[in-house]
Amino acid sequence: MQSLANVTMLPSVASGAGSVQVRGVGQVFQSGNQQVVALSDVSLDVAPGRFVVLVGPSGCGKSTLLMMMAGLRQQTSGTVLVSGSPMTQPDPNRVGVVFQEASLFPWLTAEENVEFPLALRGVAKAQRRSKAQDALKLVGLDGFGKRHPHELSGGMKQRVSIARGLVQDPPVLLMDEPFAALDEQTRMTMGDELLRIWAATDKTVVFVTHSLTEAVYLADEVLVMSARPGRIVDRLTVSLPRPRTYEMLSGDAFIRLRDRIWQHIRKSD
Amino acid sequence: MSSATLRRLIVFSLIVLWEALPRAGLIPELFLPSLSSTLMAGWLDAPEYARALLVTLYEVAISMAIACGGGILAGAVIGSLPRPRLIVMPMVSSLYAVPLVILYPVFTVWLGIGPESKIAFAAIYGFLPTMLSTAAGIQTIDPQLLLAARSMGATLTQRVVRVIIPAAIPTVLSGLRIGGALVIVGVVVCEMLVSSAGIGFLISRYRTLLDSAHVFAGVLLVLVMAMVFNAIVKWIERKAAIWQTGMRAGQDTTTREMANGAIQPAN
Repeated sequence: MQSLANVTMLPSVASGAGSVQVRGVGQVFQSGNQQVVALSDVSLDVAPGRFVVLVGPSGCGKSTLLMMMAGLRQQTSGTVLVSGSPMTQPDPNRVGVVFQEASLFPWLTAEENVEFPLALRGVAKAQRRSKAQDALKLVGLDGFGKRHPHELSGGMKQRVSIARGLVQDPPVLLMDEPFAALDEQTRMTMGDELLRIWAATDKTVVFVTHSLTEAVYLADEVLVMSARPGRIVDRLTVSLPRPRTYEMLSGDAFIRLRDRIWQHIRKSD
Repeated sequence: MSSATLRRLIVFSLIVLWEALPRAGLIPELFLPSLSSTLMAGWLDAPEYARALLVTLYEVAISMAIACGGGILAGAVIGSLPRPRLIVMPMVSSLYAVPLVILYPVFTVWLGIGPESKIAFAAIYGFLPTMLSTAAGIQTIDPQLLLAARSMGATLTQRVVRVIIPAAIPTVLSGLRIGGALVIVGVVVCEMLVSSAGIGFLISRYRTLLDSAHVFAGVLLVLVMAMVFNAIVKWIERKAAIWQTGMRAGQDTTTREMANGAIQPAN
């Protein structure tokens, strides 16, 4: 962790480093000769260091919203600020993105995959290697660096993706249904792992999922979105103590929160 | 017994049968001269065969450069741009089904019976499958990979060099394999049809003289040429082997080799 914290090239990011602000964002796209409103007037705030989960029915635009925070997509209206400045293009120094399972480069080893964003910026080989090694250690994959993705399990691949997202030590980590392709048990373990990594790094995490249990289990705060046109319809603070444990899943507080989300999602169906 | 040993055993018995059957008089020498007399015929006229081989190799090399280089280039462009793809791909696909060899007489009218007409024909013959499979390879690149690269700040050039090219290698290689094999077929067939030099020409001439041993010596030479080509492709594939296993993680080595073998008859 020590060395990961040193990765940041900028001596200090401006105040509000790690914050995410979405202001009146709308997204309209053309489908044939119809205009489809995907997102309508979405506003939200994520304070630095918070773990925020976006849930909603499929097609509600939660992934689209996340892609805007990553600078991978431009909104039709409104602004998206990360660490105080607009995301007009991807910026791995501000934002790390973790996608679904398939996004590792199969021709590179785990180590080379993690080094990839550094290699793009021409960081020297030795430096790259040591940073990648630190990141792999952080996600619990020490000693697996020489393996190729096809030699790793689904959970391990996702750990590599997380390491890749963290290698440049961005203050914000965006995760787009990262565990959706994993089996139930691996998913639970990865959830715990993610919380451990998050606690160790002080990152802001914005996490998209459609699993209600996962949402409540991981989050400080859950933002519930409605079906198209996507809007934020509820905002729940999860005050369950950390570290979260498996036993909490059957507790009253947990079930109440999950039910409340479920009511919203059922309504929008 | 492993399938590899079995394979070697089959090849070995075929060679033995090739020698034994004609010698035992079970097959007339006119239909199948024994292996030893074939080799002897080739050996005695080695200079003639060497000259023919040089001509053929020269034609193959140039056609292959055009077919593979051009095929990969055109395939990459067409595969990555949606509009040209929609326009060109259906045409190329249907053209691919036409037995192009019917065009060869036309080529001889245009370019004469020298190497030029063979090169032109074989290049086009090998170009089409190389282009088709490169285009398909580019098209099937997982868009998530490109999105991930973009999220890490990759520029367009970096995306091409670090993502698109390595991701397309397996399909491009299989295109090279088919395209290259077709180039050899194309050159030899043209030489057999209308020509004055090359191995195909030798085979065809000795056939009219009913000199089976010399015909088979030529056939053997073409066989060797195809095998060398195959070995070269295999070597390149091994260079990209890690990637290949990554791509086809579900298959073991044997099935992969079988899949490669399935393309072999084109040789």
